[in-house]
Amino acid sequence: MRRIAGLLALVWCLPNLVVAFWMVQGAFVAKTAQHEGIVAQASLLLGGLLIALFTVLLARQALRMLAAPEASGA
Amino acid sequence: MTIAGQSGTIQPWSNELGDDFIFVRALPAVLALGVLYGLIGGWLSPAGASARRADGAVRRFSTTTVLLHALLIVGFLIALPTGAWQYLGGILDVQGPLPTYLYYRIHYIGAGIVLVSVFAFVTYWWMTGDRSLLFPLDDCARYLRGFAQELPSMLGTRLAQLLRLDLKQPAGSPGAFSFYEKVWSFPTFGFGIGLITITGIVKLLRYAIPIPGPIVWADSTLHVAAMVILIIRIADHLRYTLAHWPLVVAIATGWLPNRVGQTRAAPATGGDE
Repeated sequence: MRRIAGLLALVWCLPNLVVAFWMVQGAFVAKTAQHEGIVAQASLLLGGLLIALFTVLLARQALRMLAAPEASGA
Repeated sequence: MTIAGQSGTIQPWSNELGDDFIFVRALPAVLALGVLYGLIGGWLSPAGASARRADGAVRRFSTTTVLLHALLIVGFLIALPTGAWQYLGGILDVQGPLPTYLYYRIHYIGAGIVLVSVFAFVTYWWMTGDRSLLFPLDDCARYLRGFAQELPSMLGTRLAQLLRLDLKQPAGSPGAFSFYEKVWSFPTFGFGIGLITITGIVKLLRYAIPIPGPIVWADSTLHVAAMVILIIRIADHLRYTLAHWPLVVAIATGWLPNRVGQTRAAPATGGDE
């Protein structure tokens, strides 16, 4: 069961990373700079980086569960 | 103008607009359904039921909480990806595999489920008087200290320095839920869900009552901000609960296994029972 949960968590991480990548990428495209300004660019960059950070932490936990399901989690 | 007419291909102006009108008209019924679920859950929750099973497992969540949490998950699984796509598709100028109106339609179905769940939860907590996920503000310093102690030492020490907390002092018991859950997890989730609910309802109400453009713009920005907060919170929530597996068992069954009854992350007392 823990392996399945770990696998599902890993699957959940994939779209999160895609969203994070698109947000960071969106922060640097000309359209955002021209139409929405520096605040929107900074928000996209910060939001994308935070999503990436928390997703990496989740992915690490998920990989632990896949590698050693009984050892991970009290 | 019938709902069937609006949801099909013969819609008044466009597919997207037709769905907006259906959703705003259905809003009172959606909210009422949530309140009804909460009332039923509150009435059915046994008062003073045994909080400990024969095998020592502790009751952490009521059946109503387990079901409403599952409903909320379903709502988010539908609303979050479709909402993210609406926003990012616009930024990236990408159409995606489905027609735009379908993203909206699916998003509205998910949002409707989230609304039912949120209003049911609030009604249920009001009915039962359950406040186990909240901490008393007059005991704030102790809870912040406990929270800092539960964090990884690098983060906890910095937080303690910032808030001038004495980490050498014991924080005592957090009660039914851990300090992390009470000080960080629930308040931030509550803020994110509250913000996305209110801004989502305001976005929707513009199809029923005139709302000035700048307010709609600010509201839409906050809706997106709430989406980002919730994506982050869900990832963190999953990381925390998966690292404390009995909590996953508890939200699926309502019962916290006995062997972890005394650990800090999974306190021995019951949750919302």
